[in-house]
Amino acid sequence: MVFGLTSINAQSKTSLTYAVGFGTGDLGEFISQPSFRGANVDFRQMANDKMGIGFSLGWNVFYEEKSRDTYTFENQSLTGKQYRYSNHIPMLASFDYYLTAGQKINPFIGLGTGVMYSRRNTDMNLYTIEQDAWNFTLQPQIGIEIDNNLSSSFTVIAKYFNGFAAGDLSTDQTYFSINVGWTFKS
Amino acid sequence: MSRLFKFLLLPSVAVLLFAGCYPGGPDFTEDLDVVYTTFDDQYDFQAATTYAMPDKIVIDVEIDDGDTTYEYMKDIYATPILQKIADNMSNLGYQKVDVSANPDLLLMPAAMSSTTFFYSYWYCWWYGGYWGGWGWYYPPYYTVSSYTTGSMIMTLSDPHSDNPINQSPATWIAAMNGLLTGNNDISRVLDGIDQAFEQSTYLKTN
Repeated sequence: MVFGLTSINAQSKTSLTYAVGFGTGDLGEFISQPSFRGANVDFRQMANDKMGIGFSLGWNVFYEEKSRDTYTFENQSLTGKQYRYSNHIPMLASFDYYLTAGQKINPFIGLGTGVMYSRRNTDMNLYTIEQDAWNFTLQPQIGIEIDNNLSSSFTVIAKYFNGFAAGDLSTDQTYFSINVGWTFKS
Repeated sequence: MSRLFKFLLLPSVAVLLFAGCYPGGPDFTEDLDVVYTTFDDQYDFQAATTYAMPDKIVIDVEIDDGDTTYEYMKDIYATPILQKIADNMSNLGYQKVDVSANPDLLLMPAAMSSTTFFYSYWYCWWYGGYWGGWGWYYPPYYTVSSYTTGSMIMTLSDPHSDNPINQSPATWIAAMNGLLTGNNDISRVLDGIDQAFEQSTYLKTN
């Protein structure tokens, strides 16, 4: 008799991950601090052992308190503290390809496409400037599942969100995130 | 682990997570202070050497049947503010003269406060019970809150400029704004005045 620990042929997978986000491009210039307030839910219905299709939902909050500074535009200057916030909520249809299905360590690559709601707030004095947009988004990712038991695995994913310019935000909203969490199989 | 504990675990973790996840914001009233300046980029500040300034700061104006009455800031607060303005103007190379000595510029300080009220209410006609004894409904509520901001404004104007409507145009305007506290402390005002001149290096005269 041979006993071994292998993955069951999961019909579906649900991943819950904590996400740390790093802004790039225009978002990285607006807020230089990483976001430690983020989470993602990924659901995949397995078409076969290697391919899963489903959806991905997430939320990352970027925040930075800018120290007192002077902002000048033409013949006007304004000095004060700024509090900058950027909220991003991607809602994507996603596809993942698992490279070593059935093994304890299972890396995968994937792509999500859909829409991301972005809202940017710049607070100064008692006023806020609010800009929001529904960005068409492409989100490639690469990750790894490490089986814990037959029905759950430890998961690490690197995702890159590219939200194209839309609405009040005239530049692309881009950031990448490192996601750590668990995948539950059923 | 008991079933009850497991049942409560996920919502408890979620509540703690979301409560701890809320990003910060201003902690002190000083964090909301701002200083704004603007100037006429066509005006030659280097050609001006003298200025005049009143010895009182206007905080309110009442017009009643054509009669205008000014209300002034108390001297205990106005004196250090006017001295701070005079020190900054002196550092920029300006000489303070009496208004009768034909100064190149006039500097007018003023201060004001503004209170904004918020209110909300909810009521329902069914409070006190439905007709026929069908029971009760929620009682109405009314809320009121407010905040007060203070502004300090300085205007530099040229009394000699030719103007079809006989008005002296402002060559430089500075405005400082922040939340009013109950403290009789004008240090934030004095800091704001210093900042207004610090970001206006174009005022420097020869």
